[in-house]
Amino acid sequence: MSAGKNLSDLEQLIEDFKRSGLRELHARHGEFEIYLSQDADAPGLDAPKVSVTRKPAAKQAAQQSVPKEAPAPTPASASSGAEASWPAGSEVIRAPYLGTFYRSPKPGAAPYVEVGTTVEADSELCLVEVMKLFTTVRAGVAGKITHVLASDGELVAAEQPLFVIAAA
Amino acid sequence: MAISRLFIANRGEIALRVLRAAQALNLETVIGVSDADRDSMAARLADRRLVLGPGPAAKSYLDARLVVQAAKASGCDALHPGYGFLSERAELARLCDEHGIVFVGPEPDMIEALGDKLRAREMAAAAGVPLVPGSGEIASAADARKVADQIGYPVLLKASAGGGGRGMVIVNGPAEVESGFNRASAEALAAFNDGTLFMERFVPEARHVEVQLVGDGKGEVVHFGERDCSVQRRYQKVIEEAPCVAMPAELRAQLHQAAVDLAKSVNYRNAGTAEFLYDVTRGEIYFIEVNARIQVEHPVSEMITGRDLVQEQLRIASGQGLSVSQDQITVSGHAIECRINAEDTRRDFVPVPGTITRWRPPEGEGIRLDSHITEGASIPPFYDSMIGKLIVHADTRDAAIDRLIGALDSFEVEGVPTTIPLHRAILKDPRFRSNTIHTRWLEQDLFASQPLAAE
Repeated sequence: MSAGKNLSDLEQLIEDFKRSGLRELHARHGEFEIYLSQDADAPGLDAPKVSVTRKPAAKQAAQQSVPKEAPAPTPASASSGAEASWPAGSEVIRAPYLGTFYRSPKPGAAPYVEVGTTVEADSELCLVEVMKLFTTVRAGVAGKITHVLASDGELVAAEQPLFVIAAA
Repeated sequence: MAISRLFIANRGEIALRVLRAAQALNLETVIGVSDADRDSMAARLADRRLVLGPGPAAKSYLDARLVVQAAKASGCDALHPGYGFLSERAELARLCDEHGIVFVGPEPDMIEALGDKLRAREMAAAAGVPLVPGSGEIASAADARKVADQIGYPVLLKASAGGGGRGMVIVNGPAEVESGFNRASAEALAAFNDGTLFMERFVPEARHVEVQLVGDGKGEVVHFGERDCSVQRRYQKVIEEAPCVAMPAELRAQLHQAAVDLAKSVNYRNAGTAEFLYDVTRGEIYFIEVNARIQVEHPVSEMITGRDLVQEQLRIASGQGLSVSQDQITVSGHAIECRINAEDTRRDFVPVPGTITRWRPPEGEGIRLDSHITEGASIPPFYDSMIGKLIVHADTRDAAIDRLIGALDSFEVEGVPTTIPLHRAILKDPRFRSNTIHTRWLEQDLFASQPLAAE
């Protein structure tokens, strides 16, 4: 349905890619394959990297190629150190499951709590969302927030410490 | 205008479904994926794969500008939005128009009009389609009280801007009106940034029935029969079937006519679904809303009619019009679909991301699986939990239930918990078999009467 790629098409593609704001483009057409990447870490390259390889075989059928196992998402580790370092009377609030951590009820709204906020047992601290299911995490104890250990929009692991509360 | 290269602006099973329909029509395919989906089946099978951005949907699948930019940069002349994500956002259709890309869906203004439930109700009323007794916009709690007293309790307060049960409150009597109004408008405001409410008479025993439509945008509309989606949990469909055998033939003909009249009255373009409540006690149907996209449960309509609805969408988008007339569409047999979700039925259906370590789906006559999963596939934490749809087709509803139970019994999945045990429990329940259920049956009755067995 379309004409074969010639060199000017290729140049056009690279130009389009540069302007597109896309991070990566991987294209196959017959035996040609092109991979473009806007890698900010690429040393000393202002322009996108370009590599063109000839592919020996046609596309494999899906059933024949089992994909590499995608790396499991690695939640940021709670770098805020060992639990033992919290003063006596501290209550550590943890993530109910792996998910995305949100500090406010909706985008643009003020965070539920900040360091220094006084909370009651039923105060809402954050939302954790996994696969569209939002769970409100509550303080569980009355006291004052002394640490916020995860940042908004971050992927957190199950049981990862999110807040520390100095119990009243 | 003819189209030759299609951009698929979605992921998971529907991306794969669209890809296959496009390939059947000899279209080139480009898919925009997030970083988390770079190795997905659709990404591997498409002619091109573009990585839009990181896993969280807001920075990839939900960024309309980025999506259209990617479609343009890769030389696509059409874009299919699938369902969910941006599929019913007028913004995406508008951007496509601006960039000379054919949007596989209705015009932006139509998407907007149908997305506003109050306006959709007005359109339906104008087309002579029966509505559940209700109101226009309710501006205050006092207003709500007046209307509710007229309609008669219980009533349902609903958000004009949304669905999925958010901003929806049942009011059982005059004493509950004020708190119900406040709660519904607060919820609607939080969920949709629009607190506009309207009211309907609450139908306690309702079935959810819907009509599959396809229109060419020039006034030609055909229907592909109806679906019954009365097995629901938290306003989400769990099992869908076609046809709705619980409905008398005369009422079914009325239902089809109402849906077609509505779509014709607005020159509807694209595949779409007109949803209705079927009040079993009164023997009446009431229009609820139109979904202006392909739906998750479209396969059951395909199975009973032998037609490919996604190909139909693509043909209409390319200006070829409908491939069939109404009298060429015939219904045979019965089809049932189960949505298989990666959720733990023993922990209140919490979604569980992870890696599929074993995947042995059932095969055989009358069994169809729409899924993007293979052994080793990962299920990211960023998107909804559906990992596939198991669909069966047989001569009768009874035979279809038996076939589906057999298929579920031999379906082997390891690595994440799934809702397969829930489906088996539903299908083996005598009330499902005798077809005496309603939209609240699953939560009110089945869950109350039996704990779900673990796999």
